[in-house]
Order: sequence, then structure tokens, then C-alpha cells
Amino acid sequence: MILINCPYCGEREQSEFTNGGEAHVIRPKDPDILNDKDWGQYVFYRSNPKGIFYERWVHTHGCRKWFNVVRDTSTDTILKIYKLTDNKPDISEFQSTLKSPSGEPIVGSGNFAVKK
Amino acid sequence: MSALKNKNCNYISNKEIKITFDGRSYSAYEGDTIASALLRNNIRLIGRSFKYHRPRGIYTCGIEEPNALVQILNEHNEPNTRATIKRAYEGINICSQNRWPSLSFDIGSINNILSPIFSAGFYYKTFMGPKGFWKKIYEPLIRRTAGLGKPPKNFRSKSIHQNHNVDILIVGGGLSGLLAARKLIDTDKQVLLVEQDSFLGGILNNSNKVKKIDGKNTFEWIQETEKLILKSNNIKILKNTLVTTYNFTNHLIALEDKFSGKKIDINKSELTLHKIRTTHTILANGHIERFISFRNNDLPGVMLASSFEKYIERYGVVPDEKPAIFTNNSSTISLVKSLINLNCKPCAYIDSRKKEDIEDETKEYLIKNNIPFYPESEVEGCEGNKKVEKVFIRNNSNKISSINSSMLCPSGGFNPDIHLFTQSKGLVKWDEKINSFKPDTAFQNTITLGSVSGNYEFKNLCEEINKKLSFLKVKDLNPEIETNIRDDFSIEELWETKTDKTSKWAKSFIDLHNDVTTKDLKQAINEGYDRIEHLKRYTTNSMGTDQGKISSINSLGIVSKILNKKISEVGTTTYRPPYAPLSFAAIAGRSTYEYYDPERKTPIHNWHIKNNAVFEDVGQWKRPWYFKKHETETMHQAVQRESKQTRRSAGILDGSTLGKIEIKGKDALEFMNLMYTNAFTKMKPMTSRYALMLGEDGMIMDDGIICKINDKHFIATTTSGGAPKVFAHMEEFLQTEWPHLQVYLNSITEQFTTFNISGPRTREIMRKVFTDIDFNNEKFPFMTFKTFNYKNTEARIMRASFTGELGYEIYISPQYALELWELIFKHGKDFDLVPYGTETMHLLRAEKGYVVIGQETDGTVTPIDINFNWMIGKKKKDFIGKRSLTRSDTVRDDRKQLVGIIPLNKSQFIEEGQHVVECENLPNKIKTPVEYLGHISSSYHSPNLNHCISMAMVKGGNKLMGKKLFVSTPKGTKNIPVEIVNPVFIDPENKRLTS
Repeated sequence: MILINCPYCGEREQSEFTNGGEAHVIRPKDPDILNDKDWGQYVFYRSNPKGIFYERWVHTHGCRKWFNVVRDTSTDTILKIYKLTDNKPDISEFQSTLKSPSGEPIVGSGNFAVKK
Repeated sequence: MSALKNKNCNYISNKEIKITFDGRSYSAYEGDTIASALLRNNIRLIGRSFKYHRPRGIYTCGIEEPNALVQILNEHNEPNTRATIKRAYEGINICSQNRWPSLSFDIGSINNILSPIFSAGFYYKTFMGPKGFWKKIYEPLIRRTAGLGKPPKNFRSKSIHQNHNVDILIVGGGLSGLLAARKLIDTDKQVLLVEQDSFLGGILNNSNKVKKIDGKNTFEWIQETEKLILKSNNIKILKNTLVTTYNFTNHLIALEDKFSGKKIDINKSELTLHKIRTTHTILANGHIERFISFRNNDLPGVMLASSFEKYIERYGVVPDEKPAIFTNNSSTISLVKSLINLNCKPCAYIDSRKKEDIEDETKEYLIKNNIPFYPESEVEGCEGNKKVEKVFIRNNSNKISSINSSMLCPSGGFNPDIHLFTQSKGLVKWDEKINSFKPDTAFQNTITLGSVSGNYEFKNLCEEINKKLSFLKVKDLNPEIETNIRDDFSIEELWETKTDKTSKWAKSFIDLHNDVTTKDLKQAINEGYDRIEHLKRYTTNSMGTDQGKISSINSLGIVSKILNKKISEVGTTTYRPPYAPLSFAAIAGRSTYEYYDPERKTPIHNWHIKNNAVFEDVGQWKRPWYFKKHETETMHQAVQRESKQTRRSAGILDGSTLGKIEIKGKDALEFMNLMYTNAFTKMKPMTSRYALMLGEDGMIMDDGIICKINDKHFIATTTSGGAPKVFAHMEEFLQTEWPHLQVYLNSITEQFTTFNISGPRTREIMRKVFTDIDFNNEKFPFMTFKTFNYKNTEARIMRASFTGELGYEIYISPQYALELWELIFKHGKDFDLVPYGTETMHLLRAEKGYVVIGQETDGTVTPIDINFNWMIGKKKKDFIGKRSLTRSDTVRDDRKQLVGIIPLNKSQFIEEGQHVVECENLPNKIKTPVEYLGHISSSYHSPNLNHCISMAMVKGGNKLMGKKLFVSTPKGTKNIPVEIVNPVFIDPENKRLTS
């Protein structure tokens, strides 16, 4: 269970929030001009990185506001929280702070004896 | 009570208590654990082992216990309780586990003779056939003989959750934890000190290793420290609390037993689950002694050396006056000193180390006290009838001699208790000096102090603590720690000893709880399971409730020897929470039984109860399913009666659970056009429309009726279960995609109670109830609504129907709902009005061919699939899901489409969920799959048509109208011949609806 600092209410337990998947996926302005592939890309495809992930959360059992979060998916560390109206922070802001469980490989986990 | 008592023990009172074990009463002292109480009464045999039903005794004196598991009969009949930590109290009733008919004579022990078939991986190799044997024979047999205690019945325990936010959490109130706490007294840090035992002190109580601290004896020092802590305003102590989990972001879970050593008061909560958030975690949770594998190392009477010492020092009970001691390290001499202090004498001191490696002090002490000393020797094994009787010693010239002894205390060294540290994702490394893994790099703000950090020597302890806590900028402490034994730790690697004897009985165990032998490890490696994680699962090594606390590092040692690798290359298995078993009751907290999920009741609920409603759960709502007219009426009879009466005269349904959302604002019209498939622009004010909501994938998400008051004001209804989802969906798009729209949403589900009244005589009833309203068809046509004032509240009547009959929906303030409901019944009596429940509602709508979202649809159905093309506002530029309706996949004409189905033989009944197929009979033995065309989504016996009607989703169904197909049945291979028809079975011209 992580703590999430809602930009409107302050720090609350994760159980008050709902995750809304990847952030910055913009709904096409004119869906009709898109071909099936491009539309499918918007509807069905989301990235799922290990590490820095831009995602949306909503304070369901609170102010019910949506906001954006940058989270390290391998450690659940929240790197930044910002409002929907704020600009997307550049990834370079976080790469230097990125920390993963000691010796862990970039992909997968497993026995730490082989994590070298 | 006959075992010797250590009079110097400070933690056992003189108050005698009575306990019952396997039906016999024994005396013990207040403060005893079950184990110390039984040892006090010279009871060695406690239970039978998991697989081979071998006799087992008490092996340890703490949380690491693999053997001494008992069932507590007088509490919740709690099984698998560790006798070594559960404290006894007056009247506690305990019984042994996994034995039949009795503990000393157990039929299951035949498994020990059959052990060749129970070797590593036997679950995977045996019981493979013949077919059906698993369910009927193997599984019941295994369940009866292999296992632990009996699960409790009618379990009802209470627990609560408590949150803590602190700066520093100290895990463990032993010497290191107390020293750290003393440093933090009266600082600006909020500190929580968690101790699993009922007393602080840890090693200071458990052994005689430390003599004095700052010139005070250890008991005084602990008392003084506790007083200082309690006086401080920044440190809180939680005793009887075990930290089980160390999560990311320094979030830890600890479990407090609030009735430790007391009879449980069932009116109070027994457990508190502490959820602790902290900035820094200080782990001072110590070490655990490990055993050594030798022949019959599981016999009752084998007990770890430090545990033996703990029974003497902490519990004041001497389990045996002349034990044999077997060690590979320097610390075991303190046990000898504890015994000598009580005028007892070990019958042998067997040390595997070379004579020159053994400390001079140890050698001198043994000689001075005339204790038989066996350097460079090891225990080959032990023998005896359900207890240790003989110990076999192999000396350095490979000669085996035997001595008589009733107890054997091995010590295979110590493991820093790295469980919590690795849960926190810290990395451990192998340390040759202590011959174990110790914490290396912390991943979170975690500090390890004392023996958990691999420091077993008291002389460095203060320096280590001062150094590691220097970042907190607190004062240094340098108390003088005076020890009874030489403080340098030395150990020789020894995991198992060689054995010559090979009888069926002789086994050398590596996991006592799961009955895994060293032979199993070797066999598994031979079979190719040479990765430690695979090996663990194949052999079930260290997978018991003790999680191999005394043995898992030993198995790594043995495996590394076989594979000829370093232990650090073999690696450890992953340590996962919880550290020790955590009951589900504790996790559930207050969310149990009636508190698990709130129940939502409509304002008419009590009337339903009075009128014999049988309720159905719809989400959190309690809805009447059907009304029992008399005691013997079945559900089928009730539903047939309700349906018939509604179509004949009139019926009323409590529809209050229907979700209602009010949509207001300058841009409400544009918003509604985007959210729903329908076009609302040309819709006249004060009319309503059936509408569909899609996901962006084009699949139906919800449906409802939209009332348009004007372009800036709409009221939408949703399905009963879908209301929160639809509301959240609207909010999401308003905030994330269309923040420029000025629209305000308001959930008004509970602000309006809803009645659905329908049937040919409805109009007459409505006229009687609402005398001011003109119900003429021309004045109040289908799909329009009127708002009016009801006792100074806003009320609304809409002409709509979910039955296919003339119908009205009444929306009324909840405070007047019940009186209006009763008024309707007063007038309705003359018109044969019947209350009906959800089952009749479903039947009536199926007769009319109306779909239920979630029954006909399952998240893969588009409006086109259920012939709702007419509801799609094709001229609208955009709405959610529009583009997906022209995807190549959604325009396929062989998609599953909604059809009606009736059996050719009108007396046959079709079951919901059955498959629509082309063949008349299913092949007896299905070798090739039968082609599946679709499934039955709804099926009812229609009382109005007097035969079965079904709705089905069938591939390319639209083209199959009139075709003869078959539907499978739950039993047998003969399918039901059916015809594909239009799904509207009653009034396809909508005459009843609109007149």
C-alpha cells in the first residue's frame, strides 16, 4: 500500500484512489479520419514499462479529481504528481533518481544469485 | 511437575495454573508457554509429522518451531498453534495433531515404512491415474492422513486495524533494539518499538551470555531501560507484536496478540493489525539458531542448544539434567554454563571443530567441570523409541561410539534473521566468518543492528550502533557490556553428518515440518532440479508453516556441496511476507460478515419483508426477487403467477435501485451527444428516450432512459449495478478529455424512489392515485414525462415500460415513497394489482425481447449485434465508441447476434448457458470438438405463451431466422431441437405499449 499525495486533498492511502492507466493518451479529435490500425492503437494499446511510467489516478473516495503521476513501476516509488493542466514532465527529470532493488536486472526478476 | 526449576528466572511467577493436554490435566506456572509447561511435566512427544507421521517433540523455543504444533480446543479450535510461543493460561485445553487413534500409537506412521513412494516430487509422480481416482480416492486419503490440525468451524474472531505514522520504527526489543531506543529517548523523533515477546530484553533473558551492563545485572538494566522509555514522550512500546511484513515505501505490518497468556474475551477484539509507516526502520530482530542434519535428527528429545538454554533462563525449566551437546561453533558453551550453575552436567560435549580451533576457555571449563569432551567429532545419529535414548558419536579416526542420553542439543550456528530485510528488497551477501547470509545493501531506509547485521560479538555492539545511527545526530552511548563467555565468534561449516546405517526408519531431515530428507535433496538434483527455487518446490523444502527458519540455509549448504558451487552462487530462495503465519481474521479486520459490504435497502424494504419477499443481491442492493403468496409456493409458481397477473391486469416493481444521474449545464446537450449513441439534439423537451452507452471499443457498457427537460438539463437512468461505473465514466471524460464543457453531474439515485407500474389496467389505477394528472394516451403518450408537486417535493411520472405493457415509472421523494406505495395498493386492490420482483421483471422483458445489459451482453457485444442499429446517431460527428463500430471486426456479419429461440417440442425446457449447435446428438465420447454456434443468454417458461422462450447470441444469427438448430442439455447427449425466431415473443407491433 502506497501513499498518494492528491494535489487537491493531500497525502492519502492508496485505497482511496483508482488507477486509470497510462497518462497522456489523447483521444483523437476526429476519429473518423483514422484507419483501423491507428484507431486500434488508441483504443487497445498501452505501454507497460518496468521503471518510469506516466499514469493517471483518480481520488475516487475523496475529491473525485483526476491527476497524473510519474511512478517507478519496479518499486512503486512515486516520482512526481501533477495536475491534468500541468505540462508533462520530461523523463530526464527522473532517470537520475531511479533506483531499483539492488542488483536487479532491467527486465524480470528471479534469483538474486543470477541478478548480476 | 517434576522437571527442575531455575529459581533465578524472573519471568515465571509462582502462581500455579492447570492446563489440559490430550485430555489430561497438568500443572504449570503463569508465564509458561505451552511448550515450557509440557517440558515442565516431562512431556516430550507432542505431535506427529506431516508426511511420515513420525513422533515429534519440541525442537526450539520460539517462532521458528517446526514440530510442536498443537490445536487449541477452547478458543476458536485454532489449529497449528506453535506450542513454543503460545502462552498457557488457567484452563487452556490443547490437543496434539495429525495422529489417529492416539499420539503414541498412530496408524499413519506406516507412511514411514512406505517412504520410498513419498520421496521428492511424489505428488507429481504418483496418483497420475486411472482417471477419476484422484477425486474419489487419492485426494480424500491424502487429506485424511497428510496434514496438520483440523480447521475451526463457526470461526468468528474479532480484530481491528490501527495505523501508525512514525519517524523511526525499531523492530525487536532485545539488547540492540533497547540500546537504539535509549539513544533516541527524548529526541524530536517519534519512535515505535515493537517486540514479539511479552517482555523486553531478547537475548538478555534467553541466555546467560551477558553478565552485566553498566555494572547492573541484565534484569535490572532492562527494567531501567523500560522505565526510561515509558517516561520519555517520544517512544511507544508494542509488546506481543510481531512484524510480519516489510513492504515498499517503508510500510510495515505487525500483528499484536492482545490476549497473550490470558483467556480470550470473545466480546473484545483479539488481534490488532498495526499498519506502520515510518521514515527509517531499524531492524534489530536478531538471529535464529540452525540445526544439523544427522540420522534421526527429528526424534523427540533433540532440541536446539540455544533453545534449551532459553528454557532454563527465560522459563526456568530444565528440560533435561544431562543432555548431550553437539556444536560446530563457539557460542554453545554458554548452555554448559547455564547447566553447571544449576548443578546439572551435560553428558557429552561434542564439538566438530579441530582441537586447536576450540577456544582455550572452553576446553579449560569442560575439563574443570569434568564434562566428557569430544573434539573433532560429530553426532552420527541417535536412536530410541519415540525419544532419544542413544547418541552415536563419530570421532576423528572415524570410529563410532555410543552414549546413553535422553536429550541431544545440536547447534549448527546462527543465521541473521534476514527475512524482513530481504522483504524490503535489501540485498544479502554470504559471510564466511559467521558462515551465513547477512544484510549487505539496503534498498530502503533500513538499518540493521546487532546479530541481524551479522555482528554476534557484544564488544563491537555499541560502536556499531553509534556508527549506524550517527546520521540521526543523537548522543553516543557506550555502556560496558560484561559477558560470561568469550566474545569472539568462531564456527566451522557443518551441514550434515555422515551416516553408515540405512534402514527404512533412519532418516536425516533437512525440513522437519514438511518431512523433507537430505536424500530427497540429492534425488531432486539428480532428477535435474538444480536451481534452488525449483528444488524448493519439487521437494517442498522450507515450504511449511515455519518456512524453514532453522533449516533453509542448511539446505543451501548441502546443495552447494552437491553442485560443487559456492553458497553465494546457489543463492537463496525469495523471502516473501508474511514472516510467520498471519490469520485471515487479522487481515480482514472489521470487514467481516455483515460488515464486509454495506447493504443498501430501498424505502419500501420493510413492506417487502412484511409481504414475504425473497431477496436477491444486486450489487449492494437488496431487491425483492419474488413474493411468496403462501408458505408452500415455489419460486417458479410465484414468478408464473406474478407474470400472468401483470399481463392480465397490473403489476408493480420497486425500481428504486435504478441509478439516476442529473446532468446540467450550458453544454449538457453536447455532452450527452458524446456520451450516448443516441442523437439528443432533435429530441423534444419533456420526452424521454431509451439510450445506449458504449465503451471506446464500441461494446455496450450500459443502457438507460434519458429524460430531456431542456438542452441544458437531462436526467439519465442507469442499470442498478452500473450506476457508480457510469457516473465515474462521465466524470472521467468531463475532466480528462472535454474539460472545456460546462457540465455538472449529480448522482440522485437515492434522492428519488422509483416504482415501475405496468399492465393493461395501470391507467385506471394511476387515475385514482394521481387525480390531478391527465393520463389520456394523447395527453400523456409513450416516452414522455410530467413533473409535478407532491406534498411540496418534486415528483415525476414517466410513461415507459420494461414489460411491453402500458406502463409508468413514478419518481418520488423517499420520505413519501412508502405512503405512496401503500396508496397505490389501496386503489390497486380493485384492479388486481400484484407486487412483483426481479425474476418476474426478467421474464416479462424476455417475452418482449428486451435485453438486459450483462445478461445478453458481456462486454463483447456491439449495438449492431443486438439489432440496435436504430439507436445509433449515425449523423453525429462523434460519440464514445462510434469509430469502433466501423472497425473490420465489428462489421463482420458472422458475429454473434441476438436471436430468439423456441423448442420445437413445446413441452421441452431450454437451460440458460447451454450451447447452440448443429448436431442432433453429441458424440458419446467427444474426440473432435462440436462446433459451437452460440449460447443461450436468457431462458424462461412463458406463462403467457405457455412454452419455453429463450434469447441467444448466435453466430450470424440474423441470417438464421426460421432455421432448425439444436441446443445442448446439462445431462445426456441428446440435444433439444429448436427454431431460431425473432426475439420479440409478445406484441411485436408495440400496440400494448403505445395505446
